[in-house]
Amino acid sequence: MGRHYDVVVIGAGPAGMSAAALLAEMGTQVLVLDEQARAGGQIYRNIKDAGPERQGIYGGDYREGLAVAKHFYASGPAYENKAVVWQVDPEGRICYSKDNQSTRIRANYIIAATGAMERPVPIPGWTLPGVMGAGAANNLSKDAGLTPSGRVVLAGSGPLLVLEAALLAKKGVSIAAILETGPAHPPARAVPKLPKALLRWDFLQKGLFMLRDIKQSGAPHYKGVTGLKALGSAQLSRVEAMAGDKSLGFDADLLLLHFGVIPNTHIFRHMGCHMEWDTLQQYWYPACDAWGRTNFERVFAAGDGSGVRGGPAARYKGQLAALEIARCLGMITRDERDSLAGPVQKALVHDGLPRPFVDAMYAPVPGALSFADDTVLCRCENVTVGDVRKAVSEGVRDLNEIKIVTRSGMGPCQGRMCGPALAAVVGAELSLAPEKTGLLSVRPPLVPVPMAEVAAMDLGDEDASAGNWLLDKK
Amino acid sequence: MKTADVVIIGGGITGSAVGLGLVRSGAGKVIILDAQLSSQRLSRGNFGLTWFMCKGAGYPGYAMWSRRAAVEWPEFAGRLEQDTGYDIELEWTGGAVHAFGREEWEGHAESVNALGKVCEGAGLDYPVQMLDRDAFAGLMPDIRLGEEVSGGMYTPDQGHVNPLKLLAAVRCGFQEKGGVYYADRMAREIVPKPGGSVEIRTGHETFQCKQLVIAAGHGSARLTGQLGEKLHIFPQRGQLMVTERCPKVLDVPLLCVRQTCDGSFLVGLSTENTALDTRVRPEAMKSQAMNAIRVFPMLGRVNWVRAWGAVRVMTPDGGPVYSRVAGHDNIRVLALHSGVSLAPLHAGPIASWILGEYEDEQIPEFSNGRFQA
Amino acid sequence: MNRYRNFPTDVSKHNKSGVKESVRKKSMFKTDDSGHTNQVSVVLDGRKVDLPGDASIAAGLLGQGELISRISPASGKACAPHCLMGVCCECMMEIDGIRQRACMTRPARDMVINRHLDKGRENRQKEDPHGPSL
Repeated sequence: MGRHYDVVVIGAGPAGMSAAALLAEMGTQVLVLDEQARAGGQIYRNIKDAGPERQGIYGGDYREGLAVAKHFYASGPAYENKAVVWQVDPEGRICYSKDNQSTRIRANYIIAATGAMERPVPIPGWTLPGVMGAGAANNLSKDAGLTPSGRVVLAGSGPLLVLEAALLAKKGVSIAAILETGPAHPPARAVPKLPKALLRWDFLQKGLFMLRDIKQSGAPHYKGVTGLKALGSAQLSRVEAMAGDKSLGFDADLLLLHFGVIPNTHIFRHMGCHMEWDTLQQYWYPACDAWGRTNFERVFAAGDGSGVRGGPAARYKGQLAALEIARCLGMITRDERDSLAGPVQKALVHDGLPRPFVDAMYAPVPGALSFADDTVLCRCENVTVGDVRKAVSEGVRDLNEIKIVTRSGMGPCQGRMCGPALAAVVGAELSLAPEKTGLLSVRPPLVPVPMAEVAAMDLGDEDASAGNWLLDKK
Repeated sequence: MKTADVVIIGGGITGSAVGLGLVRSGAGKVIILDAQLSSQRLSRGNFGLTWFMCKGAGYPGYAMWSRRAAVEWPEFAGRLEQDTGYDIELEWTGGAVHAFGREEWEGHAESVNALGKVCEGAGLDYPVQMLDRDAFAGLMPDIRLGEEVSGGMYTPDQGHVNPLKLLAAVRCGFQEKGGVYYADRMAREIVPKPGGSVEIRTGHETFQCKQLVIAAGHGSARLTGQLGEKLHIFPQRGQLMVTERCPKVLDVPLLCVRQTCDGSFLVGLSTENTALDTRVRPEAMKSQAMNAIRVFPMLGRVNWVRAWGAVRVMTPDGGPVYSRVAGHDNIRVLALHSGVSLAPLHAGPIASWILGEYEDEQIPEFSNGRFQA
Repeated sequence: MNRYRNFPTDVSKHNKSGVKESVRKKSMFKTDDSGHTNQVSVVLDGRKVDLPGDASIAAGLLGQGELISRISPASGKACAPHCLMGVCCECMMEIDGIRQRACMTRPARDMVINRHLDKGRENRQKEDPHGPSL
């Protein structure tokens, strides 16, 4: 007999945990599939095992996660860790792998809360050992208590770059330089957003503290940086860039790149969800209604995967999706749903007040980054920017066709690391906005699965509805 | 209005190969209109075999056509690589179909015999032999055969190729010789004009030509329908799995498993009637994985990384359609599966036929009209 | 046209043990905590190594100065973990016979981890045809 749930929540970050807790408390049959070993997602990574010292380092947001995690575990949803979903369809069939076994289960509703990823931006030498995402350093710290011991350069753009720099500075890490590619002065479009943002003075104050920590560290801090390069033979040894006319160069052991956060949209594209393009932030996200419902009636998106808004917003969106699903399942009335949703929606609005200002401050400037022909674009298949440009010059127009011709996007990461840059490069060649170049199709499996595991998989009971409990006396 | 001597609707492997043949023969101005509709793009779903073995059981004409294509493949590839600089990764390493157990082996032997007779009757050779387990294993010394494999059929006279590189190379060759390729033109309407020319209306501009070739995969049916002819094709899905790259251990392609130049294994290829649905089903993945592991147990530890479905253009007898549209001498339709295997003939005799230079004697037997009851 | 494709490797740049000594020994990370109490014994490239049991294999290796995770089959160059969150697949290594993301896998006792850094991968199968991997 196949396993069949009311709701399967994919992801156990703030959105997943909040949605699952609410649904479990409502008495629905909910299962959480978490590919990590512990609940928490990225932002609350390893929260359960974090002692007070670690909590102190990461601040109030992280501590809030502890309450969320406690609530989640206490509410008692079915929870499977190290469970990696590799195929989903919008009718509710989910294939996942856990402990080297794959199973297919059924869900009446799906909440995909698979979160976000760092925007992958190719720079010369970015495939060198010693070049990582800034989030990677954050994960190593939370997961394994590791701190960089050598000279670190942080480069890129976005508030999280600054945050990570501040965290490392507080830990006494030797920061060789902070190189921001964003403009030296706040862009004009940010200014009108400031008054609203001031309503969340707490948020802005955090930002100011971060900047203070960085200044106190004495690390060289540049803005308006161009021509970022990672250099080294077997691994990174140096980072170079330009600040206006000035050439910069820093010996470094670790380069942390960060160019903002974008939704990890693979699962939505895999299912065939309608995607929309955020012009300001330059990323794709699934088209949803106010409850997080995608174009598929039974598929919901919550958290940063539906649009990058941060931890608290993810929790609220998880709750809203859960409330609507509870109504659809007939567990609560429409009025009850609205009454419970009211405070959550208010909190969501309040949380989002500084967002337009931050987004405007740090929005990527399309075309600001230039790519040299010999820069690697697809890391998995070693396809360069030049290879892609050649394909375009031979008449290829659509991203999926580029993939066919160059192999870009065919490796194990299935286009996660090259997709955004591919769109930017192809768009630039064709004088098209990146979103007009198409979207790489996402094929199953979402992650590699050993053939033997596929061969032995439990397909579940396709026809679970068959049978009559009075007659089937087994 | 853009004019040309020949317009080809459809830029997949068939349309592109025909285009290449035309520009090589000095056909004047040749334009390919390609829409790359997501429901189609069949050329990207091809397994990559350049085979004649097993083709045309009970159908001598098709057996012969397939054999002729296979014979021409090495030269076709050599010339293509020379002209374009593309490495299409043709490996002329033969081909095999395995058998599990004694009964299946006997079944294969019978079909080899039968097809051999069919070919003989048509004055053709059929260089396929049956091998016992040891001889079969000898074809692939670097990879262990599953216990149940009893042997199988084998021929040295065929191979496998990278179908995606092939498509890119053919398209490149076409353009280098002056062909014009539009990647985003969907033909909306075909309007034959008095005086013998044909107009093709797209969402952008209109094209006019003397000769029109329709090679638009499943889209061809709509276009011939506009001209009053029903095209006898239907979709047949195949699902295909690709693994991660591994060190090269298998040179001979099998019908269901082959290892490409970059080291990935391709596993497939199913045959299902699902209309135009190209979704991948875990059921098919499971059964294909099971089968592949029965043949090569070591595949069990290899990661599956990608799968897709593609819908073949299938005809009632499995053979291709090369036809003039009734009432329109200058409009032809090409509809077929195995566009990779048959590519040399599309660049060769089919192009000559379209140019009006020479009509290969086999072409009339592949008319669309043969399906009229 | 019978072609045997060699797996591209950058072996020429490396010393006998395959990876530059300086890359192996220098640790880019130090541990915050006083020491992980939960150490797990695994076999890394044929030698016994202790990794912290409550961190990913990728994190554990980085903590010990093991930066390189694999040789890329496409470029022949050494790769190292990049995103540490299961997205980039740079940390794929053979773990108990199957290639997996090391940043998403925790070590278990006697796990056999092979990064295949020292030889070109095309030689592996010929050396050990009965082994778990190719």
